[in-house]
Amino acid sequence: MSGDALVATLDLPRANGELVFDEPWQARALGMGVVTIEALGIGAVEWRDALADAITRHGYDPQEDPASAYYAAWVDALERLVAAHEH
Amino acid sequence: MHDHDHDHDHDHDHGHDHDHDGHHHPRPASEIELRARALEALLVEKGLVSSDAIDAVIDRYVNDVGPQNGARVVARAWTDPAYRDRLLSDGTAAIGELGYAGEEGHTMVVVENAPDVHNVIVCTLCSCYPWPVLGLPPTWYKSAPYRARVVAEPRAVLQEFGVEVPETTEIRVWDSTAEVRYLVLPMRPEGTEGLAEEELAQLVSRDSMIGTGLPQTPAAR
Repeated sequence: MSGDALVATLDLPRANGELVFDEPWQARALGMGVVTIEALGIGAVEWRDALADAITRHGYDPQEDPASAYYAAWVDALERLVAAHEH
Repeated sequence: MHDHDHDHDHDHDHGHDHDHDGHHHPRPASEIELRARALEALLVEKGLVSSDAIDAVIDRYVNDVGPQNGARVVARAWTDPAYRDRLLSDGTAAIGELGYAGEEGHTMVVVENAPDVHNVIVCTLCSCYPWPVLGLPPTWYKSAPYRARVVAEPRAVLQEFGVEVPETTEIRVWDSTAEVRYLVLPMRPEGTEGLAEEELAQLVSRDSMIGTGLPQTPAAR
């Protein structure tokens, strides 16, 4: 599965149907994820599980911007998958 | 999108204002931002990703280049009858001519609107979408109400999108699958006879290629 096709199935943070980012690094993290998911051959289920775990670890803070929280978990999940695929 | 551009400029405006640690940022980067940068550096070093490839994805998603690809396909079809014929007979190959390749194994089918036919696309099962030409799907495309209702009562759904389809016009709903992705070729708006291909492309909205919208008219711009 391509990174694009996988990402199209995710519920990325949006407003009025358009992607939203609280800071520029978040867009870069999304791009990095798409390219890496494809390069490592990470499947849809594997990615969604990793992301769900990372979101749980991150926890919910009503003060935090939703896009910031989502992409923090995104980077965390990606770090772990990259480490796991090294072995 | 705009936020991204704005923030980007912002960084550069403050570029002259060096922090003590040498970063060109108006405020210290957050811990997670630093982790993201470190991860990218690691992936590039390993040769797994290139910064150019990441830039290309950001262009496609964030800077909304996705639907612009589809708009170029539509504008070419409006101005080049031979291209239009190729597009309708083999969408995958004709879209590939402009450099937009999809995932292997996907067939792109282009359906053309006419005075007596209006096409609209959906994925009733999940969220299959012609992403090489439209980018990422809007949220409503993936919503259960759209997926169910556009099949059961397309005329009412299109009305809610602000598209009035005459009673005499047949509405065809195309259900995307993992193998076949559809793209709507909207009708060229009246009053665009003198426009060049690039100007025409700017009239083609994402929704007009899904079928839930119409291209803009030059007067409306």
